[in-house]
Amino acid sequence: MKKYTFNEITYYQFVFLIMGTQIGAGFLALPRVLAERAGTDGWMGVVIGWLLSVAASIFLVKTAEKYPNKTVTDILTHLFGRVPGKLATFIYMLYNIWFTWIILINAMLYIKGWFLPNTPDYLIMFLFSIPTFLIVRNGLRIIGRYSELVFYLTIWVPVLFLVLLKDGSFLHLFPLFKVEWSKMAASGLPAIYSFLGFELAFFFYPFLQKKEHAVRGIVIANTLTMLFYLVVTLACFIFISPDEITGYNQPVLNLLKVIEFRFFERVDMIILNILLLIASTTWIPYFYCGVYCSSQLMNKADHHSHVPIFLGLFIAGTLIIHPTWEEFETWQHWMANAGIVFAYLFPAFLWMYSWGYEKYKRRKAL
Amino acid sequence: MVTNGERGEFSIFFFRFLKYKRYSSYQKTQPSDHQVQQDSRKDRPISSQLSVNIEELHRLFHQAPDLVIRNFNLANSKVKAALVYLDGLSDKNSISNNVLRSLMQISFDPEKELPTTVGDVKVAHTWNFVENSLFEGASALFIDGETKVFLLDTKGWAERAIEDPQLETSLKGAHQGFVETGSQNVAMLRRYIPNRELVIKEITVGVRGKSKVYIAYLADVASQEVLQELEDRIRQIQMDTIINTGELAEFIEDNPFSPFPQFILTERPDAAASQILQGRFTVIVDRSPAVLIAPATLMSFIQSVDDYSTRWIAASFIRLLRLFAFMITLFLPATYVAVISFNYEVIPLQLFLSIAESRSMVPFPPILEALLMEVTIEMMREAGVRLPAPMGQTVGIVGGIVVGQAAVQAGVVSNIMVIIVAATAIASFIIPSYDMGTAVRLLRFPMIMLAALFGITGIMISFMTILGHIISLESLGTPYSSPLAPFRFSDMKDSFIRFPLWKMVIRPKSVRTIQANRQGNSRKQR
Repeated sequence: MKKYTFNEITYYQFVFLIMGTQIGAGFLALPRVLAERAGTDGWMGVVIGWLLSVAASIFLVKTAEKYPNKTVTDILTHLFGRVPGKLATFIYMLYNIWFTWIILINAMLYIKGWFLPNTPDYLIMFLFSIPTFLIVRNGLRIIGRYSELVFYLTIWVPVLFLVLLKDGSFLHLFPLFKVEWSKMAASGLPAIYSFLGFELAFFFYPFLQKKEHAVRGIVIANTLTMLFYLVVTLACFIFISPDEITGYNQPVLNLLKVIEFRFFERVDMIILNILLLIASTTWIPYFYCGVYCSSQLMNKADHHSHVPIFLGLFIAGTLIIHPTWEEFETWQHWMANAGIVFAYLFPAFLWMYSWGYEKYKRRKAL
Repeated sequence: MVTNGERGEFSIFFFRFLKYKRYSSYQKTQPSDHQVQQDSRKDRPISSQLSVNIEELHRLFHQAPDLVIRNFNLANSKVKAALVYLDGLSDKNSISNNVLRSLMQISFDPEKELPTTVGDVKVAHTWNFVENSLFEGASALFIDGETKVFLLDTKGWAERAIEDPQLETSLKGAHQGFVETGSQNVAMLRRYIPNRELVIKEITVGVRGKSKVYIAYLADVASQEVLQELEDRIRQIQMDTIINTGELAEFIEDNPFSPFPQFILTERPDAAASQILQGRFTVIVDRSPAVLIAPATLMSFIQSVDDYSTRWIAASFIRLLRLFAFMITLFLPATYVAVISFNYEVIPLQLFLSIAESRSMVPFPPILEALLMEVTIEMMREAGVRLPAPMGQTVGIVGGIVVGQAAVQAGVVSNIMVIIVAATAIASFIIPSYDMGTAVRLLRFPMIMLAALFGITGIMISFMTILGHIISLESLGTPYSSPLAPFRFSDMKDSFIRFPLWKMVIRPKSVRTIQANRQGNSRKQR
């Protein structure tokens, strides 16, 4: 019955997997987006986003709890029947693969823009696919270890922002609540996008060893993400003046440019490469889930053979399309809307549906 | 604890059972059991006529000038007998004093007991057993009219004295290393762990030349699953003969395509004993002075026995130093190349100017310069290893002058490159395990190339690749990257920092021991 035991992940790996999936390259632009909506009160948007995502996460885990040994694809097949289940799996696969593609493109554009302007984009994509291939091929347990390790390796990054605070002006933040509530709520919207990633808990849940701690784990993951965003946003708001901040595309990078050591200039160059590490913990879980869905569609137990195929498609896609920042923005926009459906609306719907379904079934059995 | 005890008892029972099985299979080689005779078609019984047997011996050992057949008459009778042994594999002293003398002087009944005074006497009825025993240094006593052969333990071949192991010198550890005789090595382990739970399992490997392989472990500590896995893999080996433990390791390792060693090979009995106490397995291969320790983790390759005999603060410092050296070996040359050829904006102007000045004479791009120097230093290292000590000095002098000075003055390489390469070389020698040092030195080359092609991004990608590879590696089915990923806090006590020994009350979890606790609290409260 328990078909996922050989690939179990620990509680901490579950937390760091979700947290790693949530924090991607998006945080570089987050302070600007928030400031555009609500000025320096934008940081409250992060808190609003956190509240919403915690609520959605709890719905999600509660739904998954009813079917402890089933991933979302199995649950959908169970609830809606075989053909709609397959269809839903297909949609999930598209969503995950598309998300992977977007994150890879984003990382590629950053690296190409900052480091390798003359290197062809498909070559950079190929570079990314080497570690991705190695890690995703080995299943969720290895991905869990990777996310965990990357978390410990990058734990110093938020501290770097705290160091900056001593030169900033806290007055930028005051007075609090200077914008209307509607605007503040509007700033929650971009924050919600930044919390996307916890929806993959649907896939991770059956692999979790101690399922009774799942709710706590997902809340902790969301909270850690929130704290990180909060530190970054506040550091930007405090350090950069409120009028200036909307003028920068990625205010976080501008912030990092300021840091300089006697023996080492341009800390931002290193951070951008560390970003690759951070972004990889986003694209790798998404990619795994996408490949997982595709192998489920083909009724195959292992996903090994699908990994190189999709990576090849990504490289070929880059070679053909040569994505630009504009295209990326459009795709991300679609993605964000899809994310709202998959991460926030769908779990709540599924929870209610399964509640009704089980009740109906029980009554029928009686 | 109760379950542990129960398990322990069970395992004792289990091993008694195994021993019994082994013993019974030995018994089966005797022809009293008719079934076995049918099974082994080649295994012929021994004739009762001595002359037939001698002929058979000549046929079996054709072209073997070292086979000695000593014909003689038993004391006080006209019964002919022959003592057969392989010259050089057996102890002549023992043969003449303890065997021949008593056989010729004391009269006895061959049906009962032999008057010889050697430690071990076995009885064989078939040729295979005689043949194998002769190769192991036993002498065979053929008596006319008997269908059995007495095999007398007269082992004694030229042996090396126990010395300090060359590859792993230690300042404060024991100054003895394993030798080439398997039984001697087992004895050395027994000296360290005089406990009946130290179980030695014997497996014979090799089709042509049978070599004995011993798995030593603590029966009430080590995991049965891991043992089963190890044993299965060793039994799988089909080969002429195993010459060296390294060969065995290559046959049984989890990922043969990985640059990283997945087992620890050591020549130190104290290191092996300490690993056994942690719940690991030691595989001793007869005729090889290195023993294999499994399962290994990445961290165990930066540990050394000296760590436990030095004070824990100093030992922790040295651990961190080794880790730093590990990173330097992997990243320093690559980072230099990346910074010089790609991302020169990350270093301050002053430093960049001095590098530029040093490089102004050099006609090559940084990648070529780096590869040239790294290959040179690898060649010097290899030459130094293979050359005998008196000639080895020449390598040092030539290398020092040519690489150190002349190359810079001629403008072939820059000063800074020499510094980088030298620092890397020294750092790579700090890693205690030779295998791991080689692995890291090898990985440096693709890293340099990636750095030259893609700058810091290339380094980052190679770092991610190495990370991804290490976390997916396994040693005998246990995670290789263990205390780090999966993160195990209690195992961290013996990784980056060597905690005080009385703080390490739990055996490493990554080994999956069945008895978790070491013996408990060792320090008096004060």
